Amino acid sequence: MKIIRKLWDAVKIPLLAIFAGLIAGGVIIAVTGSNPFRAYYSLLQGSGLAPKSSYAAYKSMLTDLCSYANYFTPMIFAALAVAVALRAGLFNIGVSGQMLAAGFTASIIVGYSGLGAVIAKPLVIIIGIIVGGIAGAVVGFLKYKFNINEVVSTIMFNYIFQYVISFFINTYFVDPVSRQSKNVSAASRLTLMDTQIGNLKIDIPLGIILALITVYAVWFLLEKTKLGYELKAVGFSKTAAKYAGINVGKCVVLSMTISGALGGLAGVTYYLGYLGSIQPKVLVDTGYDAIAVSLLGNNNPFGIIFSTMLITLISKGSTYMKSTAGVDSEIASVITGVILLFSACNAYIKWKAANIRARKSLPVNSENHEKIKAGKEEK
Amino acid sequence: MDVVIIDGLSFALPLFIMAIGGIYCERSGITMLAVEGLQGFGAFTGALCAVLVSGSFSGNSPVPFYIAMLFAFIGGGVFALIHALLCIKFKANQVISGVVVNILAMALTAYLTKLLNRVLFGATSDKFVLTVSARITIPVLSKIPVLGAAFTNLYPFELVIIVVAFIAWFVMYKTRFGMHLRACGDNPHAVDAAGREVNKIRLAAIIICGALSGLGGICFAYSISANFSSSIYVGYGYLAIAALIFGNWKIMPTLGACLLFGFARSGGYRIVQVLKLPSSYQDLVMILPYVLTLILLMFFSKHNGSPRALGVVYDKGAR
Repeated sequence: MKIIRKLWDAVKIPLLAIFAGLIAGGVIIAVTGSNPFRAYYSLLQGSGLAPKSSYAAYKSMLTDLCSYANYFTPMIFAALAVAVALRAGLFNIGVSGQMLAAGFTASIIVGYSGLGAVIAKPLVIIIGIIVGGIAGAVVGFLKYKFNINEVVSTIMFNYIFQYVISFFINTYFVDPVSRQSKNVSAASRLTLMDTQIGNLKIDIPLGIILALITVYAVWFLLEKTKLGYELKAVGFSKTAAKYAGINVGKCVVLSMTISGALGGLAGVTYYLGYLGSIQPKVLVDTGYDAIAVSLLGNNNPFGIIFSTMLITLISKGSTYMKSTAGVDSEIASVITGVILLFSACNAYIKWKAANIRARKSLPVNSENHEKIKAGKEEK
Repeated sequence: MDVVIIDGLSFALPLFIMAIGGIYCERSGITMLAVEGLQGFGAFTGALCAVLVSGSFSGNSPVPFYIAMLFAFIGGGVFALIHALLCIKFKANQVISGVVVNILAMALTAYLTKLLNRVLFGATSDKFVLTVSARITIPVLSKIPVLGAAFTNLYPFELVIIVVAFIAWFVMYKTRFGMHLRACGDNPHAVDAAGREVNKIRLAAIIICGALSGLGGICFAYSISANFSSSIYVGYGYLAIAALIFGNWKIMPTLGACLLFGFARSGGYRIVQVLKLPSSYQDLVMILPYVLTLILLMFFSKHNGSPRALGVVYDKGAR
């Protein structure tokens, strides 16, 4: 009973936010003259969670579902990256840049080599972790050593990575037809593309298994280890953590390193799993949306799985929604934005709810008082 | 050399006006990461109005541009109310709120541009086509050697920005409101004790920030891209934030930072042209302002004086 109560406390505000976002989106869709229910149902159809009326050859609901899983795997890593940094009070806005750096490095080292699948696939993952980790560590180091605000430095690195990598792609690795980087070898892809099973051709995302393991590992790290506790302490109050004897600088650098490494994993599963090539001069939205996803999932690794599935469901299904319900696919990000808007207010809603409850049960008992305080301080 | 100065100024000044907006907001104690979104939304409203009215003016009339500037000013200010609502009323985390406002601005402008193009003009397009603003040369001053370039081939908006920037500087440092605003960022309780409402001053600061950012956005739309589309979001808003941190939250040093970014960018382009390098080298040059920011921040961030109450939700009862 207590567990259910706790769970309900955790999910009720995200649920409220989602509900509000869907209503707002529904109103916009209705005003522009389409049926919102049909539009939302086609979101489910586009992601393989509901049957479509007809399928092309070699396609079924299962293939849609797999391609949806293929699509949301990078987002899980990216959201975890944001969550780990946020635990230590840092904002990693540079996940997109770390993804690009890791994806590009893995592409040129492994993707364009002739290595066999058994060596290539693990190597891609290791390179992703290392490159992303370094990119994150630099940001942490700049923060610790030079007091550079991590928001600014990660954004600067985003642009630096974007332009430098675009230069290298355009100079050395460009595919003259697609104007993108050359496709990586099938052996190095983390998704088994177009694998024929029975009469279906399925994209099997191997990354999803790694993602689920990582979710557990990150949860274990944050909740069950000394380091996780230290990160949390630093996130709550740097001065108090220092007073307690925690090495704040180490925590800042480490949390950014872990965050960057997770961003790197997001990068390899995106560029060598989902896509297979890199478009120059484009920074994917995944890194920015990941902030939203992490926020919606209460920065909890398990919560992130569900919020990832929801947010990516909206964006993945939006192409199908456009073709069936005639609603512009851009509405997807509007809905996401509104959901975010409401989940950003969660501290206030929590505080307000606690306040009402406290007023009902006067005199103020200590637990409610703590909640009110926590709500205020969660800035 | 002249080209470097002309292009540098036309990039630095819109950046500067956005950075001033950021300074207003941050000096009042509200963390402002939403400049990117605000400038985009301002540019959107401005561009929409320009497209709507352009039919009733002759082809090269400058009037639509001034109307666009006015509405960009208003649009940015109105959109900033979302940030104000989240930060002041709902006491949300100000960094998160900034990111949310950015995401929402990008989503809404992309959606509305497509929708309005279809509804109003019957066209399937994801951009509002604008013109590149005509340039003017100031007669006597432009004859001065070297420095004269600063008065040659100006976009008219550069003059507007200089006037607005001066007013902003005056309000910030020479008026009672400016003093209260700065005090809000350092010691809001003192402002409260002096009988002013902290939240009202902060609200005003956020609206000013949105308005100035919107102005900067429409200037970029009229000079660099000559249209409004999602390509307006290339991170100049974040660059403005970097400039204001580098300028230590003061207006005049921030101008220096913006000029540095502007000249680094235009100088880099010029080098690529002079050395006749292939155009892909432009990508390498593009990183100059960003690398420069990082290096300079390394030297100046250690002892920077961010407003003491920056990012702290004002709580009347706190000690």
